[in-house]
Amino acid sequence: MADAGPSNAVVPAQEPEVDLSVHPSGIVPQLQNVVATVNLECKLDLKNIALHARNAEYNPKRFAAVIMRIREPKSTALIFHSGKMVCTGTKSEAEARIASRKYAKILQKLSYAVAFKEFKIQNMVGSCDVKFPIRLEGLASTHAVFCSYEPELFPGLIYRMVDPKIVLLIFVSGKVVLTGAKKREDIYRAFEAIYPVLQTFRKGGMIAAPNAPAALLQQQQQQQQQPLPMVGAPARQL
Amino acid sequence: MACSALYRQTKLGLSLVDALDQLVEEGKLPPQLALRILDEYDDVVLETMEEKVTAKGSLKGHLDIYRFCDNVWTFILSNATFRLAPTQGSTRRDEQLVVVDRVKIVVVDQKLAPQKE
Repeated sequence: MADAGPSNAVVPAQEPEVDLSVHPSGIVPQLQNVVATVNLECKLDLKNIALHARNAEYNPKRFAAVIMRIREPKSTALIFHSGKMVCTGTKSEAEARIASRKYAKILQKLSYAVAFKEFKIQNMVGSCDVKFPIRLEGLASTHAVFCSYEPELFPGLIYRMVDPKIVLLIFVSGKVVLTGAKKREDIYRAFEAIYPVLQTFRKGGMIAAPNAPAALLQQQQQQQQQPLPMVGAPARQL
Repeated sequence: MACSALYRQTKLGLSLVDALDQLVEEGKLPPQLALRILDEYDDVVLETMEEKVTAKGSLKGHLDIYRFCDNVWTFILSNATFRLAPTQGSTRRDEQLVVVDRVKIVVVDQKLAPQKE
Protein backbone atom coordinates (compact mmCIF):
# COMPACT_ATOMS: atom_id res chain seq x y z
CA MET A 1 0.00 0.00 0.00
CA ALA A 2 1.48 3.28 -1.08
CA ASP A 3 -0.47 5.63 1.17
CA ALA A 4 -0.21 5.02 4.86
CA GLY A 5 -3.95 5.01 5.38
CA PRO A 6 -5.54 4.06 8.66
CA SER A 7 -6.53 0.69 7.23
CA ASN A 8 -2.95 -0.59 7.04
CA ALA A 9 -3.03 -2.70 10.17
CA VAL A 10 -6.27 -4.44 9.18
CA VAL A 11 -4.87 -5.78 5.95
CA PRO A 12 -3.25 -9.21 6.41
CA ALA A 13 0.43 -9.50 5.56
CA GLN A 14 -0.07 -11.95 2.70
CA GLU A 15 -2.19 -9.51 0.67
CA PRO A 16 -0.78 -6.04 1.23
CA GLU A 17 -2.58 -4.68 -1.83
CA VAL A 18 -6.22 -3.82 -1.25
CA ASP A 19 -8.42 -4.07 -4.32
CA LEU A 20 -9.93 -0.60 -4.17
CA SER A 21 -12.64 -1.54 -6.68
CA VAL A 22 -14.04 -3.96 -4.10
CA HIS A 23 -12.93 -2.05 -1.01
CA PRO A 24 -13.06 1.69 -1.82
CA SER A 25 -12.59 2.40 1.89
CA GLY A 26 -9.22 0.64 1.82
CA ILE A 27 -10.38 -1.46 4.78
CA VAL A 28 -11.04 -5.16 4.38
CA PRO A 29 -13.30 -6.67 7.07
CA GLN A 30 -11.68 -9.80 8.49
CA LEU A 31 -13.79 -12.94 8.85
CA GLN A 32 -13.95 -14.08 12.46
CA ASN A 33 -16.38 -16.98 12.36
CA VAL A 34 -18.07 -19.15 9.78
CA VAL A 35 -20.98 -21.49 10.58
CA ALA A 36 -21.77 -24.27 8.15
CA THR A 37 -24.16 -27.20 8.13
CA VAL A 38 -23.95 -30.51 6.32
CA ASN A 39 -26.14 -33.58 6.08
CA LEU A 40 -24.25 -36.85 6.55
CA GLU A 41 -27.38 -38.85 5.66
CA CYS A 42 -26.66 -41.54 8.22
CA LYS A 43 -28.23 -42.26 11.62
CA LEU A 44 -25.58 -41.92 14.31
CA ASP A 45 -25.18 -43.57 17.70
CA LEU A 46 -24.05 -40.53 19.67
CA LYS A 47 -22.99 -42.44 22.77
CA ASN A 48 -20.82 -44.74 20.71
CA ILE A 49 -19.24 -41.71 19.04
CA ALA A 50 -18.62 -40.00 22.37
CA LEU A 51 -16.97 -43.13 23.72
CA HIS A 52 -14.69 -43.79 20.77
CA ALA A 53 -13.84 -40.44 19.21
CA ARG A 54 -11.33 -38.08 20.75
CA ASN A 55 -12.22 -34.64 22.06
CA ALA A 56 -15.92 -35.35 22.23
CA GLU A 57 -18.51 -34.34 24.80
CA TYR A 58 -21.94 -35.88 25.09
CA ASN A 59 -24.32 -34.94 27.88
CA PRO A 60 -27.82 -35.83 26.64
CA LYS A 61 -29.38 -34.23 29.71
CA ARG A 62 -28.12 -30.82 28.61
CA PHE A 63 -27.83 -31.03 24.84
CA ALA A 64 -28.86 -33.70 22.34
CA ALA A 65 -25.68 -33.60 20.28
CA VAL A 66 -22.07 -34.68 20.49
CA ILE A 67 -19.76 -31.68 20.69
CA MET A 68 -16.50 -32.48 18.97
CA ARG A 69 -13.43 -30.34 18.36
CA ILE A 70 -10.41 -30.54 16.11
CA ARG A 71 -7.24 -28.45 16.23
CA GLU A 72 -6.66 -27.96 12.51
CA PRO A 73 -8.60 -26.09 11.30
CA LYS A 74 -9.52 -25.01 14.82
CA SER A 75 -13.26 -25.65 14.98
CA THR A 76 -16.16 -27.20 16.87
CA ALA A 77 -18.82 -29.50 15.47
CA LEU A 78 -22.26 -30.33 16.80
CA ILE A 79 -23.16 -33.81 15.63
CA PHE A 80 -26.79 -34.88 15.86
CA HIS A 81 -28.42 -38.30 15.91
CA SER A 82 -30.15 -37.56 12.57
CA GLY A 83 -26.79 -37.27 10.84
CA LYS A 84 -26.97 -33.50 10.55
CA MET A 85 -23.89 -31.62 11.60
CA VAL A 86 -23.08 -27.98 12.38
CA CYS A 87 -19.48 -26.82 12.09
CA THR A 88 -18.52 -23.54 13.74
CA GLY A 89 -15.45 -21.54 14.62
CA THR A 90 -13.55 -21.55 11.35
CA LYS A 91 -12.26 -18.35 9.78
CA SER A 92 -13.16 -18.91 6.13
CA GLU A 93 -15.51 -20.80 3.80
CA ALA A 94 -12.70 -23.10 2.71
CA GLU A 95 -11.73 -23.88 6.30
CA ALA A 96 -15.36 -24.62 7.16
CA ARG A 97 -15.53 -27.16 4.33
CA ILE A 98 -12.19 -28.76 5.24
CA ALA A 99 -13.19 -29.00 8.90
CA SER A 100 -16.61 -30.49 8.06
CA ARG A 101 -14.91 -33.08 5.85
CA LYS A 102 -12.53 -33.95 8.69
CA TYR A 103 -15.42 -34.54 11.08
CA ALA A 104 -17.14 -36.70 8.45
CA LYS A 105 -13.89 -38.67 8.10
CA ILE A 106 -13.69 -39.21 11.87
CA LEU A 107 -17.23 -40.64 11.81
CA GLN A 108 -16.32 -42.74 8.79
CA LYS A 109 -13.44 -44.25 10.77
CA LEU A 110 -15.97 -45.23 13.44
CA SER A 111 -17.59 -47.25 10.61
CA TYR A 112 -20.55 -45.02 9.85
CA ALA A 113 -21.56 -44.87 6.18
CA VAL A 114 -21.55 -41.09 6.03
CA ALA A 115 -22.38 -39.00 2.98
CA PHE A 116 -21.47 -35.33 2.55
CA LYS A 117 -24.61 -33.62 1.25
CA GLU A 118 -26.16 -30.15 1.38
CA PHE A 119 -23.03 -28.42 2.66
CA LYS A 120 -24.06 -24.81 3.24
CA ILE A 121 -22.57 -21.75 4.85
CA GLN A 122 -25.25 -20.49 7.25
CA ASN A 123 -23.59 -17.45 8.76
CA MET A 124 -20.42 -15.42 8.54
CA VAL A 125 -19.12 -12.85 10.97
CA GLY A 126 -16.59 -10.20 10.05
CA SER A 127 -15.03 -7.34 11.93
CA CYS A 128 -12.88 -4.30 11.30
CA ASP A 129 -11.78 -1.00 12.73
CA VAL A 130 -12.40 2.36 11.02
CA LYS A 131 -9.78 3.92 13.36
CA PHE A 132 -11.86 6.92 14.40
CA PRO A 133 -14.48 7.39 17.13
CA ILE A 134 -18.13 7.54 16.08
CA ARG A 135 -21.09 9.61 17.36
CA LEU A 136 -23.56 6.78 17.82
CA GLU A 137 -26.39 9.07 19.02
CA GLY A 138 -26.22 11.07 15.80
CA LEU A 139 -26.19 7.93 13.67
CA ALA A 140 -29.09 6.44 15.66
CA SER A 141 -31.28 9.53 15.22
CA THR A 142 -30.66 10.05 11.48
CA HIS A 143 -30.89 6.35 10.55
CA ALA A 144 -33.58 5.59 13.16
CA VAL A 145 -35.42 3.04 10.99
CA PHE A 146 -32.37 0.78 10.79
CA CYS A 147 -30.87 1.49 14.19
CA SER A 148 -31.34 0.28 17.70
CA TYR A 149 -29.12 2.04 20.21
CA GLU A 150 -29.74 1.40 23.91
CA PRO A 151 -26.45 2.19 25.65
CA GLU A 152 -27.90 1.03 28.96
CA LEU A 153 -28.50 -2.42 27.49
CA PHE A 154 -25.58 -2.75 25.09
CA PRO A 155 -22.81 -0.23 24.33
CA GLY A 156 -22.91 -0.84 20.59
CA LEU A 157 -25.35 0.46 18.02
CA ILE A 158 -27.23 -2.29 16.19
CA TYR A 159 -27.70 -1.38 12.55
CA ARG A 160 -30.00 -3.67 10.52
CA MET A 161 -29.08 -3.05 6.91
CA VAL A 162 -31.69 -4.12 4.36
CA ASP A 163 -29.53 -4.60 1.27
CA PRO A 164 -27.37 -6.55 1.79
CA LYS A 165 -29.33 -8.04 4.68
CA ILE A 166 -26.61 -7.70 7.30
CA VAL A 167 -26.62 -6.73 10.94
CA LEU A 168 -23.82 -4.41 12.03
CA LEU A 169 -22.68 -3.72 15.57
CA ILE A 170 -21.05 -0.31 15.61
CA PHE A 171 -19.07 0.84 18.62
CA VAL A 172 -17.96 4.30 19.76
CA SER A 173 -14.34 3.17 19.38
CA GLY A 174 -14.80 2.75 15.63
CA LYS A 175 -14.81 -1.03 15.80
CA VAL A 176 -17.47 -2.64 13.61
CA VAL A 177 -18.81 -6.21 13.67
CA LEU A 178 -20.82 -7.47 10.69
CA THR A 179 -22.93 -10.60 10.95
CA GLY A 180 -25.75 -12.48 9.29
CA ALA A 181 -24.00 -12.93 5.96
CA LYS A 182 -24.30 -16.02 3.80
CA LYS A 183 -21.64 -14.71 1.43
CA ARG A 184 -18.35 -12.94 2.05
CA GLU A 185 -19.32 -10.30 -0.53
CA ASP A 186 -22.34 -9.32 1.58
CA ILE A 187 -20.02 -8.40 4.45
CA TYR A 188 -17.79 -6.37 2.11
CA ARG A 189 -20.77 -4.62 0.49
CA ALA A 190 -22.35 -3.84 3.85
CA PHE A 191 -19.11 -2.34 5.13
CA GLU A 192 -18.58 -0.21 2.02
CA ALA A 193 -22.17 1.01 2.38
CA ILE A 194 -21.78 1.98 6.02
CA TYR A 195 -18.25 3.44 5.84
CA PRO A 196 -19.20 6.83 4.28
CA VAL A 197 -22.02 7.11 6.82
CA LEU A 198 -19.63 6.47 9.69
CA GLN A 199 -17.29 9.13 8.33
CA THR A 200 -20.06 11.71 8.58
CA PHE A 201 -20.59 10.78 12.22
CA ARG A 202 -16.94 10.90 13.12
CA LYS A 203 -16.54 12.28 16.62
CA GLY A 204 -14.93 15.71 16.94
CA GLY A 205 -16.40 17.25 13.79
CA MET A 206 -16.34 16.35 10.15
CA ILE A 207 -13.45 18.64 9.19
CA ALA A 208 -10.80 15.99 9.77
CA ALA A 209 -12.73 13.25 8.00
CA PRO A 210 -10.79 11.97 4.98
CA ASN A 211 -12.45 11.72 1.57
CA ALA A 212 -15.46 13.69 2.75
CA PRO A 213 -17.97 13.89 -0.11
CA ALA A 214 -18.11 17.26 -1.88
CA ALA A 215 -21.77 17.72 -0.96
CA LEU A 216 -20.89 17.34 2.68
CA LEU A 217 -18.17 20.00 2.45
CA GLN A 218 -20.68 22.40 0.92
CA GLN A 219 -23.02 21.79 3.80
CA GLN A 220 -20.22 22.54 6.23
CA GLN A 221 -19.47 25.84 4.50
CA GLN A 222 -23.13 26.70 4.69
CA GLN A 223 -23.19 25.97 8.38
CA GLN A 224 -20.19 28.22 8.88
CA GLN A 225 -21.97 31.03 7.05
CA GLN A 226 -25.17 30.49 8.97
CA PRO A 227 -24.40 30.45 12.67
CA LEU A 228 -27.96 29.29 13.44
CA PRO A 229 -28.35 25.75 12.08
CA MET A 230 -31.67 25.34 10.32
CA VAL A 231 -33.09 21.87 10.46
CA GLY A 232 -34.68 20.88 7.19
CA ALA A 233 -33.33 23.91 5.30
CA PRO A 234 -32.92 23.12 1.59
CA ALA A 235 -29.32 22.62 0.51
CA ARG A 236 -28.01 25.68 -1.35
CA GLN A 237 -26.85 24.94 -4.88
CA LEU A 238 -23.48 26.31 -5.92
CA MET B 1 -18.11 -50.27 41.88
CA ALA B 2 -19.79 -47.37 43.56
CA CYS B 3 -17.97 -44.10 43.62
CA SER B 4 -17.67 -44.23 47.41
CA ALA B 5 -15.68 -47.45 47.08
CA LEU B 6 -13.06 -45.86 44.80
CA TYR B 7 -10.57 -45.58 47.62
CA ARG B 8 -10.50 -49.37 48.17
CA GLN B 9 -8.09 -49.42 45.26
CA THR B 10 -5.56 -47.27 47.09
CA LYS B 11 -2.61 -48.88 48.86
CA LEU B 12 -4.35 -48.38 52.20
CA GLY B 13 -7.60 -49.90 50.93
CA LEU B 14 -5.90 -52.88 49.30
CA SER B 15 -3.97 -53.62 52.50
CA LEU B 16 -7.16 -53.48 54.52
CA VAL B 17 -8.92 -55.86 52.12
CA ASP B 18 -5.91 -58.21 52.30
CA ALA B 19 -5.88 -58.20 56.07
CA LEU B 20 -9.63 -58.74 56.32
CA ASP B 21 -9.47 -61.57 53.76
CA GLN B 22 -6.80 -63.28 55.82
CA LEU B 23 -8.82 -62.93 59.03
CA VAL B 24 -11.95 -64.26 57.34
CA GLU B 25 -10.01 -67.22 55.87
CA GLU B 26 -8.59 -68.04 59.30
CA GLY B 27 -12.12 -67.92 60.67
CA LYS B 28 -11.29 -65.15 63.09
CA LEU B 29 -13.81 -62.74 61.55
CA PRO B 30 -17.31 -63.33 60.18
CA PRO B 31 -17.56 -62.21 56.51
CA GLN B 32 -20.46 -59.85 57.27
CA LEU B 33 -18.31 -58.00 59.75
CA ALA B 34 -15.51 -57.72 57.18
CA LEU B 35 -17.94 -56.11 54.71
CA ARG B 36 -19.20 -53.80 57.43
CA ILE B 37 -15.63 -52.72 58.12
CA LEU B 38 -15.05 -51.99 54.44
CA ASP B 39 -18.21 -49.84 54.30
CA GLU B 40 -16.98 -47.97 57.35
CA TYR B 41 -13.60 -47.51 55.69
CA ASP B 42 -15.25 -46.04 52.55
CA ASP B 43 -17.18 -43.51 54.60
CA VAL B 44 -14.21 -42.52 56.73
CA VAL B 45 -11.88 -42.06 53.78
CA LEU B 46 -14.39 -39.84 51.96
CA GLU B 47 -15.02 -37.80 55.07
CA THR B 48 -11.31 -37.45 55.81
CA MET B 49 -10.50 -36.41 52.27
CA GLU B 50 -13.21 -33.81 52.40
CA GLU B 51 -12.63 -32.34 55.86
CA LYS B 52 -9.21 -33.22 57.22
CA VAL B 53 -6.84 -33.11 54.29
CA THR B 54 -5.60 -29.59 53.68
CA ALA B 55 -2.86 -30.52 51.25
CA LYS B 56 -3.21 -28.82 47.93
CA GLY B 57 -2.12 -29.92 44.55
CA SER B 58 -2.16 -28.34 41.16
CA LEU B 59 -1.33 -29.64 37.78
CA LYS B 60 -0.46 -28.16 34.48
CA GLY B 61 0.05 -29.83 31.15
CA HIS B 62 -0.85 -29.90 27.51
CA LEU B 63 -4.34 -31.34 26.97
CA ASP B 64 -4.12 -33.84 24.12
CA ILE B 65 -7.43 -35.62 24.39
CA TYR B 66 -10.58 -35.06 26.41
CA ARG B 67 -13.89 -36.84 26.57
CA PHE B 68 -17.14 -36.43 28.44
CA CYS B 69 -19.56 -39.32 28.40
CA ASP B 70 -21.85 -40.82 31.06
CA ASN B 71 -20.90 -38.04 33.47
CA VAL B 72 -17.25 -39.08 33.38
CA TRP B 73 -14.56 -36.74 32.19
CA THR B 74 -11.41 -38.27 30.77
CA PHE B 75 -8.35 -36.16 30.13
CA ILE B 76 -5.05 -37.24 28.61
CA LEU B 77 -2.29 -34.74 29.19
CA SER B 78 1.30 -34.68 28.04
CA ASN B 79 4.22 -32.96 29.76
CA ALA B 80 2.23 -32.66 32.95
CA THR B 81 3.63 -31.06 36.07
CA PHE B 82 2.08 -31.81 39.45
CA ARG B 83 2.79 -29.38 42.27
CA LEU B 84 1.99 -30.88 45.65
CA ALA B 85 1.96 -28.67 48.73
CA PRO B 86 2.17 -30.51 52.07
CA THR B 87 -0.69 -30.83 54.55
CA GLN B 88 -0.87 -28.16 57.21
CA GLY B 89 0.93 -29.29 60.33
CA SER B 90 2.88 -31.88 58.41
CA THR B 91 6.62 -32.14 59.05
CA ARG B 92 7.22 -31.68 55.34
CA ARG B 93 7.75 -28.09 54.38
CA ASP B 94 8.91 -28.38 50.80
CA GLU B 95 6.66 -28.41 47.78
CA GLN B 96 6.93 -31.56 45.73
CA LEU B 97 7.21 -31.36 41.99
CA VAL B 98 6.34 -34.38 39.87
CA VAL B 99 6.79 -34.26 36.12
CA VAL B 100 5.43 -36.94 33.79
CA ASP B 101 5.36 -37.33 30.02
CA ARG B 102 1.78 -38.49 29.92
CA VAL B 103 -1.06 -38.76 32.40
CA LYS B 104 -4.66 -39.95 32.14
CA ILE B 105 -7.15 -38.36 34.50
CA VAL B 106 -10.59 -39.85 35.04
CA VAL B 107 -13.04 -37.63 36.89
CA VAL B 108 -16.25 -39.07 38.30
CA ASP B 109 -19.17 -37.11 39.62
CA GLN B 110 -19.48 -38.12 43.24
CA LYS B 111 -23.19 -37.25 43.45
CA LEU B 112 -24.20 -39.19 40.36
CA ALA B 113 -22.06 -42.29 40.69
CA PRO B 114 -24.11 -44.25 43.30
CA GLN B 115 -27.23 -43.92 41.11
CA LYS B 116 -25.42 -45.59 38.26
CA GLU B 117 -24.96 -48.81 40.25
